[in-house]
Amino acid sequence: MADFKFHEPVMGRRAFVGGSLAASSLAFLAACGKKGGSSTAGSASGATSGAIVNYYINNPVCIDPYNVQEDQGTQVSFQLFDALTNFDYDKNEIVGLAAESWDASDDATEFTFHLRKGAKFHNGDAVDAEAFKRAWTRVVYPKSAVAMEYGPSEVSYHLSLVEGYDELAAGDTDEFAGLSCPDDLTFVVKLSAPYADFPFVASHPALAPVPAAAEDDAKNFYLAPIGNGPFQMDGKWEDGQEINLKKFDDYYGKNKAKVDGVHFTVQKDVETAWKEFQAGNLDICDVPVPQIDSAIKDRGESKDGYTMSDGQHTLLGGEPSVYYLVVNNTAAPFDNADVRRGVSMAINREAICKTLFKGTRTPADGIIPPGIDGYQEGAWEYSKYDVDAAKECLDKAGYPAGSDGSRGLKLTLSYNQDGGHKEIMESVIGDLEKVGLEVVSDTPEWSALLDQYQQLDYQFGRLGWIADYPIMDNFLYPLFHSDSLGGDNRSGYSNAEVDKGITEARATVDDQERLDKMHAVDKIIAADCPVIPLMFYSHVTAGSDRVKSFYLDPQKHAYLNRTELNA
Amino acid sequence: MGKYILKRVLQFIPVFLGVTLILFALQNIVPGDPIKLIGGEKALTPEVELQLRVKYHLVQVDDEGNAILDENGDPVPETLWNRYVFYMTGLLQGDLGSSYQRKLPVTDIFAAKYPYTAKLALCAIVLEAIMGIGAGIISAVKRYSFWDILVTLVTSVLVAVPAFWLGMLLQLFFGVQLHVLPISGAGGTASQYQDWVHYILPAVTLASVSTAYCARIMRSQLLDVMNQDYIRTAKAKGLSNRAIIWRHALKNALIPVVTYIGVDFGAMLSGAILTETVFNWPGIGYEMFRAISSRDWPIVMGGVTLVVLVVMVINLLVDVSYAFLDPRIRFDSSNKNA
Repeated sequence: MADFKFHEPVMGRRAFVGGSLAASSLAFLAACGKKGGSSTAGSASGATSGAIVNYYINNPVCIDPYNVQEDQGTQVSFQLFDALTNFDYDKNEIVGLAAESWDASDDATEFTFHLRKGAKFHNGDAVDAEAFKRAWTRVVYPKSAVAMEYGPSEVSYHLSLVEGYDELAAGDTDEFAGLSCPDDLTFVVKLSAPYADFPFVASHPALAPVPAAAEDDAKNFYLAPIGNGPFQMDGKWEDGQEINLKKFDDYYGKNKAKVDGVHFTVQKDVETAWKEFQAGNLDICDVPVPQIDSAIKDRGESKDGYTMSDGQHTLLGGEPSVYYLVVNNTAAPFDNADVRRGVSMAINREAICKTLFKGTRTPADGIIPPGIDGYQEGAWEYSKYDVDAAKECLDKAGYPAGSDGSRGLKLTLSYNQDGGHKEIMESVIGDLEKVGLEVVSDTPEWSALLDQYQQLDYQFGRLGWIADYPIMDNFLYPLFHSDSLGGDNRSGYSNAEVDKGITEARATVDDQERLDKMHAVDKIIAADCPVIPLMFYSHVTAGSDRVKSFYLDPQKHAYLNRTELNA
Repeated sequence: MGKYILKRVLQFIPVFLGVTLILFALQNIVPGDPIKLIGGEKALTPEVELQLRVKYHLVQVDDEGNAILDENGDPVPETLWNRYVFYMTGLLQGDLGSSYQRKLPVTDIFAAKYPYTAKLALCAIVLEAIMGIGAGIISAVKRYSFWDILVTLVTSVLVAVPAFWLGMLLQLFFGVQLHVLPISGAGGTASQYQDWVHYILPAVTLASVSTAYCARIMRSQLLDVMNQDYIRTAKAKGLSNRAIIWRHALKNALIPVVTYIGVDFGAMLSGAILTETVFNWPGIGYEMFRAISSRDWPIVMGGVTLVVLVVMVINLLVDVSYAFLDPRIRFDSSNKNA
């Protein structure tokens, strides 16, 4: 970090001589403009606002659980609300949060959650089974008060396996048939099909409980949600500016917040946020890729990639998300598995990660990222860089290289150019040209592209997948099950064996057995190579010297209640 | 004058209808399905997609509010004309609809953000007027002096420097290095500065290019006027230099400058995307930019509606101000020479 020579904004003769007239007068104005007449400038060692964590986010889509979806809104909601369960990455198992424990029926279709006693919402209401039923109903029911005001939830799919979902989603009834509350602390969920991993679904912040105020006063609740988490709203969401949280003293859990509050600074882009961080106005901030080397050098790299401590303030741990080439399996030439395999092995993933992302992304060796229980190194045999094997596959596919090296196969790569994708795709195209393939770019507008993918009107393109829940099922089912065709399965891949395997695994209650079955399915998919995984994402998050301890789990949930600041 | 203003105000109506209609038609021409963009990489379920289309009046509905399906089971898109009528009806009742992406009512979004855009524009325009006109006068009056050369040089640089780059430099220098001015935002609880201090750097950045143009226009206009016969007459009468410039030359030279500042003010009031992005300013410029790229039509429509109104009012004020600057200009229809 820079060494600051001019710490004092108070104007004196020296400064007038040293700086330009304009600079000095502006500085003078600013010195008058400091709050409380204080003339101490912020220092590089962190923000100066008491035990408040200053945290960078982008403007969220929604912080009311009913429609919480992207990581920014999730971050805020995660502090305000406790869902039934939570995945504990230290123990590597799903543990109770608002629920103390749960029982699953032997066929994995009925789950009984036992809630903690004495838990309260920020407004004093009790967190009872009804609160969960109310919350889950408003996620699905298109005529709930919040849905009438702000539109239907876009994440109701979380609950699509709960009995009565279809009727409720169609608006035919306002009663969620699959949910029942035998008593205040018992919440029973009936599924329409076996799904042993359901407790993972229940960990999603969108499925957190809400008090009656959420429906009675939907408008205020939308901007200042009342939850059951370790922090409560302090004021309301100031669109595009800030969201302030303060410690909730009556929090039921053992991890009461150690800091007084959180100040989420809403920034438009990471470059500006990084300047604020450098000036000492932010405690936790994302690092722009070009700055990553200097950040590691200045802030120190965290050993485990997820935990900050003194001298270790840069987090680079892997995330459960994958960047992949989506491939149209239903039409020539990619209906030929050897073409897919050949293309996959021709791509130098390492080079893309190193040159374009300075190592903040890692080469994908399968569709399941590390950090997901069941990740296996080198899981997909064709997700590696092997030019010779790639050429062999392409030869086998019926596209032998001619005397000039060209294979006479022209491919069309359809992608959107914004968001840095252009550079990645250009690198991919360069690699493919090296093995004698001709690739042309098709770069339609983003929504038109999404439509093309959905209609299977393309050859190959690019997409990302971020897991909702850290389980293998959340990759294999949406991306490869034939039930997901027309939805998230955009490669048109359909394999009865895979469908059967996933369905069986979902019905398997024993954790290890289920994992084994998922691995078997993953193996079948890997051999078919229906999509081409390229990279796994990682954290790129830095902390100021004020941060004594901070934990950001692989899913980017910040455990701000456990965060400590240096005095 | 009153009649003229009334006429101009009445002219607003066809202009306004025309602009909104064209913009509405553009929605159908510009590629991109806004509802598909809500889901993005994660597909929306078909039920949710249909519910959203119903909510935003993009498909035809029956009397009970359910979507009408054609023989293939697909919803029938609402006609452009019906949507326009619906939009204008809402507009007259003060309802601009809700954002597709952000869900909030458009009126709420603009009510919260427009004041920031307006205040920033006002700061910038005052800065531009004072600095631009002042520098222009100095360099014209003291032609070929050190000050003239300085103004010419500085304005050349400012015109050439992209505003966002200047903004970043200012941030690095005053915010990161010197710690004397805030880097971004418009204040708020966590800022160590008073709110007004937050306006300094964005206003300077926003005003920089136009101030330079303004100074140059002022200089050349004033030099032009100084060569006019009536100025020579004034000189021959023995008027002091000061009186000539202030009382005779300046008023005439100001007309193009006022036009320029007026147009510029209108542009600033429509939001400044780059400045707002660099300084994380909570104004409408960035909101509009984001809305256009995500085809968030209610925000685009609402924003344009607002901007069209503001620009028309500003233009009217500029035209009216001519009359005060130049007595020869009259707006009465009887005077065809005006």
